[in-house]
Amino acid sequence: MAIPPIAALEIGTSRTVVCVGETGERGRVRITGVGACPTIGVRKGEITELPNVRVGIDKAIKEAEKTSGVDIWQVLIALSGGHIQSVINPGKLAIRSSDHVVSAEDMEELGEIANDVELESDRQLLHTIPMTFTVDDQIGIVKPLGMRCKMLSLEVMAIHCLKNRVDNAVNAAKSAKLDVADVAFSGIGAALSVLTAEHKQNGVALIDLGGGTTSYVAYCNNVFATSGCIAVGGDHITNDVALAFAITQAQAEEVKRKYGSAVIDPDSGSKRVTVPADGAFEERILGCKALQTVINARVDETLRIVRSQLDDAGVLPHLRAGLILIGGGAYMNGVTDLAQRIFGLPCRIGTPSNVDGLEGVEQPAALATVAGLVMHGHNNYEDRGLLSPVKHVLKGWFGR
Amino acid sequence: MKNEEQPAMLLLGVGGGGCRLAASVCAAYGSGLRALGADTDALANRQASAGGMTCLLLGGSRLAGHGAGGDAIQGRLAAQDDMPNLQAQMKGVRTVVLMTCLGGGTGGGATPEIVKTLGQMGIATICFATMPFSFEGQARRKEAERVLPMIEESADSLVVVPLDDLFKDAGNDLSLDDAIMMAEGIIAAGMTLLWRLLSKPGFISLDAERLHTMVLRGGNALFGCGSATGAGRAAKAVEALRGCRLLQSGKALTRANALLLGILAGSDLRLAEVGEVMREIQKACKSGCHIEMGTVLDPFYEGRIELVALAFESWTAAALAAPSGEVADVVPARAGGRKTRSRGGSKLSSGATGRGKFKGVEPTMYNNEDLDVPTFARRGIRLDR
Repeated sequence: MAIPPIAALEIGTSRTVVCVGETGERGRVRITGVGACPTIGVRKGEITELPNVRVGIDKAIKEAEKTSGVDIWQVLIALSGGHIQSVINPGKLAIRSSDHVVSAEDMEELGEIANDVELESDRQLLHTIPMTFTVDDQIGIVKPLGMRCKMLSLEVMAIHCLKNRVDNAVNAAKSAKLDVADVAFSGIGAALSVLTAEHKQNGVALIDLGGGTTSYVAYCNNVFATSGCIAVGGDHITNDVALAFAITQAQAEEVKRKYGSAVIDPDSGSKRVTVPADGAFEERILGCKALQTVINARVDETLRIVRSQLDDAGVLPHLRAGLILIGGGAYMNGVTDLAQRIFGLPCRIGTPSNVDGLEGVEQPAALATVAGLVMHGHNNYEDRGLLSPVKHVLKGWFGR
Repeated sequence: MKNEEQPAMLLLGVGGGGCRLAASVCAAYGSGLRALGADTDALANRQASAGGMTCLLLGGSRLAGHGAGGDAIQGRLAAQDDMPNLQAQMKGVRTVVLMTCLGGGTGGGATPEIVKTLGQMGIATICFATMPFSFEGQARRKEAERVLPMIEESADSLVVVPLDDLFKDAGNDLSLDDAIMMAEGIIAAGMTLLWRLLSKPGFISLDAERLHTMVLRGGNALFGCGSATGAGRAAKAVEALRGCRLLQSGKALTRANALLLGILAGSDLRLAEVGEVMREIQKACKSGCHIEMGTVLDPFYEGRIELVALAFESWTAAALAAPSGEVADVVPARAGGRKTRSRGGSKLSSGATGRGKFKGVEPTMYNNEDLDVPTFARRGIRLDR
């Protein structure tokens, strides 16, 4: 079945990115076009100024159309923000057949029961991701089909968000004359493009250090274990620097990018850095160690919150493959060292290696989410109409 | 005190120097003293533990037990990492006597953080902080001076011990090692006297509760000792106390609004001698100085009189007026007497720094903290801009 080019849109806090992908060799997704534009009008991952956001989308779409050579009329949207939450929802089914063998129909019925998540009226379900089955008293079963039992249970991870935030993102895309095929949690998209089966089997946490948010997903023993999103990101680092040294946000952003470090260099005591003038604001000279101290405090705190949440979810001892950092923040000097120290786990910057076409791209980790979303589109385009717990992983493509 | 167990009081050594001092007090005092050390150096902790003191490693996951390397920021972050462990040790504690040596990484970095947390827990804290010797260099002195206001802000009482003052007349023959050992010896001896005063019965006892009340909002204090033997030992001991360099050769006594005085002696102490000490002390102090006195009778001090004093300059009688176990929130500012106690606040508060571009935005709250406020401001990290 030929799959048409699929486009994904991420309205990030610091930049809007569009990726276009097609089916390449051996059925792998090949990214054929990328467009990006600095975002204005998004704070902590949430849209605050629709007209400005629309301008950013227009520019990014045009660039992606130019590089890919296709007209984009429909997109998948990556959603992030502190409003995204997850909850484990259990479902139970008595196996009524005379031989008590679990059938495909039983699996389907149980999937529907577990996916029926009760949410408050202002919230919307984004994904239901099956975790593990319990076959009578035997826990941790991944594939119970054909097993004999009286009671089959399934836990699903339900990721949900505020309805109006989805509406805002959809409206922003529609204002740029785009149809929205689906909306997905950004962390799920990133996991698709970056994580390998080996990572998931050994246990891994993928942390997306974005401009407005820090989101994470974790897998243990090949099962989706937990996810979360904290409304703190690179923008907070910039804001901290601006307030610490009484400089503009633009100056702070520049000094952060040029000289920022998540770890404090003990030899930087006397080193000074120059902040270029910004409009009416004069050039400034700052102490390098003070700059590093401000950044270190913020990054350290953010990573510790993630650590604490992974610990609360009980996954920390199971992350044998360590940590993988993505997003623009992953390229900050010293951030992998700091994460390694805080978590006591190996840490590296991730690349969207499950897709082709991004070789040679500068800072590919910043494209992991949109690249993964294109994969999500391809997988679900292939799978539409089929139903099994695995196919529920990214529920909703064309389905809602 | 009814016995030697003092669950309400804890001696806490912070950093390498603070732990050594606390261990010396432990060794001199013997059993029955509740003491805890907190340091980032695992080896130093092991050495202090060998003397029988419980030691807590700070920032193990961050510094791997290698110490803060003289970096106060690392010391501060290490303390933040392991604060829950430290808090767990504070069960039942009402007063903490904290000892620290400023100028280094752990003493300088962790102490303000710990003092702030103790304040938030409602524990009265008297902090004994040594200032480095001049020969240790300007950098250490500046670092120590930078940290002092941060401790002062949260501690109920702060006793600054300038090590230079101890050896003003020592001449040129004193080696560095000897100077440090002697300084530690003098301070540890004074602290031991203070601890004995609070724990050993005398005919006029001074218990932890009275120290708690004195310390609570006592403000800055100076600390000193004096001893004498033989005939006229009472007057001579007061003279020695007045001459103590740590009490600025008597100036601290004349300026003090309140004085905590301990008389430690053997069973040969006579009531008349106590009266003589008090007369001489009252002469040395200004009129109206509130004096809390206690005695210790211990065969260990047979034949001599030891005096130990804590002189509170910025203390007012209102400190005693606060109901037991309750702290009034508004007190006069330091210039008018006592300082305003800041529970958990810092000089770089969110009010001063603000939320910048997140002003007017729904805050990101986590554990009752507004994460939109810069982390360095919430944690009270000072920046050498």
